[in-house]
Amino acid sequence: MQKQEIATQYTLEESQPLEDGQHMDTMTINMGPQHPSTHGVLRLILTINGETVLKAVPDIGFLHTGIEKTAEAKSYHQALVLTDRMDYLAPLNNNLGYSLAVEKLLGIEDEISEKIKYVRVALAELQRIASHLVWLGTHALDLGAMSVFLYCFREREMILDIFEEISGVRMMTSYICPGGLQADLTPDFEKKVRAFTKIFPARLREYHDLLTNNQLWIERTKGVGVLSAEDAIAYGVSGPTLRGSNVVWDIRKAFPYSGYEKFDFDIPVGSNGDVYDRYLVRMLEMQESLKIVNQAMDGMPAGPYRVANPKVAPPPKWQITGSMEALIHHFKLFTEGYRPPKGEVFVRTEAPKGELGFYIVSDGSAKPYRMHVRAPSFANLEALPLMVEGGLLSDVVAAIGSIDIVLGEVDR
Amino acid sequence: MALTAAATVSLVKEKFPQAVLETVEFRDEQTIVLQPEFLTGVCAYLQKNLRYNFLSTITAVDWPERVPRFDVVYQLLSLPNRCELRLKVRVGEKGEEHPSVPSVCAIWPGANWYEREVYDLFGITFAGHPDLRRILMPPDWTTHPLRKDYPLTGFDLPEPHWGGQVPYTLDPGVGDQTLRTPDGRELNEGRSSLNPNQEPGTPRRE
Repeated sequence: MQKQEIATQYTLEESQPLEDGQHMDTMTINMGPQHPSTHGVLRLILTINGETVLKAVPDIGFLHTGIEKTAEAKSYHQALVLTDRMDYLAPLNNNLGYSLAVEKLLGIEDEISEKIKYVRVALAELQRIASHLVWLGTHALDLGAMSVFLYCFREREMILDIFEEISGVRMMTSYICPGGLQADLTPDFEKKVRAFTKIFPARLREYHDLLTNNQLWIERTKGVGVLSAEDAIAYGVSGPTLRGSNVVWDIRKAFPYSGYEKFDFDIPVGSNGDVYDRYLVRMLEMQESLKIVNQAMDGMPAGPYRVANPKVAPPPKWQITGSMEALIHHFKLFTEGYRPPKGEVFVRTEAPKGELGFYIVSDGSAKPYRMHVRAPSFANLEALPLMVEGGLLSDVVAAIGSIDIVLGEVDR
Repeated sequence: MALTAAATVSLVKEKFPQAVLETVEFRDEQTIVLQPEFLTGVCAYLQKNLRYNFLSTITAVDWPERVPRFDVVYQLLSLPNRCELRLKVRVGEKGEEHPSVPSVCAIWPGANWYEREVYDLFGITFAGHPDLRRILMPPDWTTHPLRKDYPLTGFDLPEPHWGGQVPYTLDPGVGDQTLRTPDGRELNEGRSSLNPNQEPGTPRRE
């Protein structure tokens, strides 16, 4: 292997001549990787003139954990656990995307029962609300509104309690898995979800009261970090960040998955593509998610929580003690796993941050030959320089908060 | 009448008969395998005429025993027509260290970071890319981790972050890493050959 030249990273001129022969004094500063408003370990190399940002170069990779490489050494069921760790604020949405991709690869989509679909939708939407609550709290905290953070985490705690109720784990649940769910719902699940959906509308109004018409909030966010619709599409921006730029696009409507076509909800869009629009889109999305959760809870059918296919999901315990076949299936599943046919699939879902895609290549073995994740935050972050260049240094903080990045997903 | 992916495949076949190597349909997903030299032409046609305006991702797959060795995969999406399409080019002759693919940055600006990621993790270069440098790995890294001949546990080098200069002048090679086969693979080869009594960060002792 040949030795490569160490790449020169950044070429930034120290001083740029202006037309009339004067020189503009520019300064290059680092924002991050240790900066509270970069939401993790993002480093921005900013070239500034006074308070104006001339150039912004994001530097990522500080949280690179090689999830795609690790998945190649795990069985399909084991690789599920890795997906929780990418967007760690929305693990269930990652589980859902991965499970749908593996199910498509296996060709067992038709065997997924209505109950599984409804539970998945309800949990995905609860997780979306939880993810947006963390975004709202930290975004407001970055811009100086301390108390919103405390309220948001109070409601998020209720959602995490629901997850703990059904799976025993608060955050990295891996509850949605290829072939169904890890365990059946508990009797208290519905009670806890109803308790949440009952109080949440009032709490959402509370957040609106705190921020939406707040003059300070409007002045910090309106007209700041504008991203045009053309740029957003060209850069592959997705999710609420794309919708904030007045593009009506939601994977749940465009390519309905997991039974989303049965639910009635709207797609909120912004008009100017500024920080305030992206804020409003996410606030309204929480309301829509709540609508979906209510519909899913009302229409939840009874049924099994796993597919009855013993090649994919383990047989129930009572069968294992009585049937040799079941015992063999159980043994094969847990020592080796299942072997999807040769082929490749790409499944996109609407995660809280945007379009989450799983590209899985199978070579016929029990481990994915290649798993690539199209992380929404990765593409959204790529468009950040478009939002901040030409603006003020303090608006960089507002713009980063408004695209809602999670570095675990950017770096994978 | 909205355009479908299957209709796109026949349109591309008609318009660029010499560019299309193969078309595959699996689980209702359409894939077009293209000759690398026609890639930008076909992409510009898809973006402008057929309104595939959204590039979801670019990635690669390594098939070390095959010639050409790499698949470079493009996932396209058309927002106005609501349809999706996968393009693929195959590159990498035997022994070619850094195969080259034409860049599509001029067609979809968002391709910039994806191409940097593929370059970083697979060592595939993109001709015409405005700023091709590593994105996830440290800038002085010398190898490409998502290749199949890169051991899962890394090379037997002193850990760079435990205080100590990594001897990048050394050729790490691929050591005793076993290549992956569909039937059974041995992993953790590199790790098991380490002396368990060895202090981390020190040169390897036998």
